[in-house]
Amino acid sequence: MRHPRAGDAIGFAVAALLIALVGWIELARPFGSSLARLTAGLLTIDLLIRAGIFTIILVGLNLLMGYAGQVSLGQAAFYGMGAFFSAILTVRAQVLGIPAAVWSAWWWPWVLMVAGAAMVGGVAYLIGWVILRLRGHYLAMATLGLGIIVFIILRENLGLPRLNLTGGFDGIVGIDRLRVGALVVWPAPRYFLLVWAVVLGAMAVGLNVVHSPIGRALRAIHGSEAAAESVGVVTPAFKAQIFALSAAMASLAGSLYAHFQAAVVPGTFGFVPSLELVVMSAIGGMASIWGAPFGALAVLLVQELLRTHVLGILPAVSGELEPVVFGALLVVIMMFWPAGLVASRRGGQRIGVR
Amino acid sequence: MGTGEPPVPTVIDVPHVSPRRRPHVSGQAALAGAIGVTVVVLVALGRRFGYGPVDYLQLLVDGLRTGVIYALVALGFVVVHRVTGVINFAQGAFVMLGPMITISLFGMPWLPAPGQRLLLSAALAVLITAAVGMAVHRAALHPVRAASLLTRIIITVGIYIVIQGIALIIWGPRPYVLPAFSTLQMADRTFLVGEVIIQAQTIWIWATAAATVGLMGLFFERTVAGKAMRACAVNRTAAQLMGIRVDTMATLAFGLAAVLGAIGGIVLGPVTRPTFDMGLELGLKGFVAAIMGGLVSFQGAAIGGLVLGVLETLWAGVTLAGFKDLFAFVVLILLLLIRPQGFLAAREEAESP
Amino acid sequence: MIGRSTRGQWGGGGRLRLARVLWVLMTVLAVAAAPLLAAPGRGTPYKIGFIASITGPGASLGIPEREVARIIQERVNAEGGVAGPDGVRHDVQILINDDQSLADVAASLARRLIEQERVQVLVAGTLSGPSLAMVPIASDARTPMISMASARAIIEDPQSKRMRPWLFKPVPENLHSAQKQAEYLQAVGITGVCHLYENTAYGQDTFASAQALFPKAGIRILYGDSFDRTGTEFPQVTRVRASGCRAVVIGSIPPAASLINVAVAGRVGGRKIVHGHGACSPDLIRTAGAAAEGTVMPCGKILVSDQLPANDPVRRVNLALIQDYQRATGGQAISTFAGHAFDALSWALLALGQVPDGLPLDRARDAVREALETKIKNYAGTHGVMSLSPDDHLGFNPADFVIVTVREGKFVILPRNQWK
Repeated sequence: MRHPRAGDAIGFAVAALLIALVGWIELARPFGSSLARLTAGLLTIDLLIRAGIFTIILVGLNLLMGYAGQVSLGQAAFYGMGAFFSAILTVRAQVLGIPAAVWSAWWWPWVLMVAGAAMVGGVAYLIGWVILRLRGHYLAMATLGLGIIVFIILRENLGLPRLNLTGGFDGIVGIDRLRVGALVVWPAPRYFLLVWAVVLGAMAVGLNVVHSPIGRALRAIHGSEAAAESVGVVTPAFKAQIFALSAAMASLAGSLYAHFQAAVVPGTFGFVPSLELVVMSAIGGMASIWGAPFGALAVLLVQELLRTHVLGILPAVSGELEPVVFGALLVVIMMFWPAGLVASRRGGQRIGVR
Repeated sequence: MGTGEPPVPTVIDVPHVSPRRRPHVSGQAALAGAIGVTVVVLVALGRRFGYGPVDYLQLLVDGLRTGVIYALVALGFVVVHRVTGVINFAQGAFVMLGPMITISLFGMPWLPAPGQRLLLSAALAVLITAAVGMAVHRAALHPVRAASLLTRIIITVGIYIVIQGIALIIWGPRPYVLPAFSTLQMADRTFLVGEVIIQAQTIWIWATAAATVGLMGLFFERTVAGKAMRACAVNRTAAQLMGIRVDTMATLAFGLAAVLGAIGGIVLGPVTRPTFDMGLELGLKGFVAAIMGGLVSFQGAAIGGLVLGVLETLWAGVTLAGFKDLFAFVVLILLLLIRPQGFLAAREEAESP
Repeated sequence: MIGRSTRGQWGGGGRLRLARVLWVLMTVLAVAAAPLLAAPGRGTPYKIGFIASITGPGASLGIPEREVARIIQERVNAEGGVAGPDGVRHDVQILINDDQSLADVAASLARRLIEQERVQVLVAGTLSGPSLAMVPIASDARTPMISMASARAIIEDPQSKRMRPWLFKPVPENLHSAQKQAEYLQAVGITGVCHLYENTAYGQDTFASAQALFPKAGIRILYGDSFDRTGTEFPQVTRVRASGCRAVVIGSIPPAASLINVAVAGRVGGRKIVHGHGACSPDLIRTAGAAAEGTVMPCGKILVSDQLPANDPVRRVNLALIQDYQRATGGQAISTFAGHAFDALSWALLALGQVPDGLPLDRARDAVREALETKIKNYAGTHGVMSLSPDDHLGFNPADFVIVTVREGKFVILPRNQWK
């Protein structure tokens, strides 16, 4: 085996450098420049932070879709669960009887992030055991249904309007910034560094899975479940584990989102956002860990262009073009580059252990 | 083994057999049991509102109205799935295009008599929607017919988004008004049957649906094209060997699904206020209804639609408004987990999931 | 499973094709628009960041707001910009954006307008949700924001009950609407009502307001329930029939308000239907038709401007706006939401006119904020005569609501002596 990890190592080094560079530009503002000025207003820290958050979700999603061959049309539900978990237990902690000394401590949101990811991952594992025995498009429909169910429950205040935990349609506002001791992880450039550090961590985990025996087993499963079982790979357990991992990553991303936006609304986590994730995955390559950041960036850039710059060309149209462009993008990509626009498979499929 | 069939296990695939032997329950019995249990539960929940038999009857009537629309949409799903194997997410878009195009055509003064104008506008709208459906298949699905099923399904999702987006540009986000068929105005005639209120449009919905289903049955039984389509659905390769142009049949299937969806949307139009995004919910619920027939059975889909409509309305009557949509998706998950081949697949035409 | 034909596509690693990456990025960057043109300067040009829900569920409110933004832009251009206290004229550019009724998008747009476009003031938020999401952004960035949504929490911190220093809004709240409804119901002697509200934040808030205020006026809510905004069947109407209430209060905006109106009018006769201020739009009449006849609701004066007394300063302002609005939209009737946008933008322009030339951006924003708090006094807007102060960022006087009814397809003022 040639050293695929060497390529990964170089990639990480380059990525770390770029991230550090961008962070420095924004923090130090040499010669009064900023990322936005340098890219003609196209790339902003805001956009990069959001891209990072989506990338974390996409790493998990790509593991699930690309390597385990399972599909999820409801991944935004896990994203939302993580976001609301963090939001509720920081902003509404009083209602739940958590002592003030705990929920105002600087370490509490960090604990929640990890606990939320673990909890959502655990729930996903249980769901995965049951649901992942469905194949192909039946699984897609099931995840679609699950995603919508979670969205409805979040939107309806968990059915407990009196407790007002999720804030109904309007969600929760006033979420605090993350702190490390006395240092606030804000303004935005600091948060950017945090998010992309987590991105690199998530990608490292993802690449580890890909290159591990588990990863090879996953590719094997993808080719044929019977063959995989015949060489001793326990299918339901593996699939559920990957499902859980993808859910945990999405939840982590959700927590990061909550502390970034300082407000969470259910509308951010419905059916359409799940589809957006699929589009991002398709562009970056459904089976590619490295493609994940590019998929996220590409989609967000197109959105920015449509929302702001296009007004200069077609002033009469504002948000109306976005769905058409996205739908068309999805169709075209799935027709001509179903393996992904940016990244694609290596030659040949390897089944079995090697 | 072609690529257009409903999914068939790849290579040697050992179905997941549960260690306990399940007692063999016929589909219909299981469905009847499930419905019975649900009804009992809902009625029990309804007791706190003091519902009387009249109220339940009213809910039943309302539910049958919605259910018929679900059934029409579901039939569209089944047609496409049986002939191409694809789950056509764009079906909801056809449901929306029907009434919206009708409204636009009706608003133009090309015929003085409003009744005739409405009828012809509706007919034209159905034809246009059918054309859109067939164009969609030719342009986006036919070229990639060798691609995986999942890829093609995602393409239909993209197509739905595009059509809805174009609808937003053409018609804007505002709700429109389609006049009731009986009065040709917004306000509709209502009938009182006992104490149950039935709108005239409800009668139209039932009659149109019955006629449509009847015509469809005739199409499949009596016409060459219909029989050819059935042949494709049963065994694609054999059909090809018999000289049937399978790809043409696939396009036709999309056109037929579009017709079904459009008719459903048009006849529902006066009851709601058609908007550019009305197709999403109807499409998803029609899909759930189609699953009740395992995506392969017409009767199953039709009955599924009715059952879903009635039960959902019953549920809406006893629960908080926001949770109404929960019902259909919980049913979806349960169906997929317990019995993805559906309850009512006709034996001779059933395919394995 | 997925099918044999896909094995190659899904399996294996994802090796980046660097060339492709660059190609994609280049294409995207190449499409980026040219940098902004510098306006021919007198004073530094001012920018107002305008964010409305032009698509999505809030579109029926946001589209009239956008029309008004365009009208005001035209008016400002015709006048040659805004003149500061030192006489220096400044061009004013209103940057119109669509938040798609999503809090997410609103927040991103707000950040972009504040940081990239460097606006002096934001006029943003058609719906309460997106507005609330923008509240911390505007506050953190010390940029004044005037919202066009109704939630109290936008301008007032719910814990401390203090005014948020950077947030303002000219829009009446559901509490005011409920108060007026209670007044009406009390005057006509109705003591038992049903309250149906749409299952959105707006609807829930109308119900909460009713629950808070109706008992004080001796009105009991016999049956209160939410209904599905996008539904076609309304089982709640059956329960209205059973409850014996004499009036049905509806907390919703069209088209949902119209549909429930039609359902109630069709199935439950003989009850008075009372809408909230969210229904004060021509869309209600258009989508409810005859069922809306005889319904009453508390509305802003703009809806019935031609019926206001000649000495009402609000009348003149409204008629001029209506004229421009109908010219711009080809004859469409005006709604109260257009009025909110007009008031919000007028405040912004008034405040900008108090900013001396040559201030750096942060001081300019401070100056706008201060001007809003201190210089908006007895200002005749579309909904009434408004005064702002450090303790009151609303300025709307509940007495400026009028009870309006629908007669022959038009909104007509219902004077107190005709309440029945």
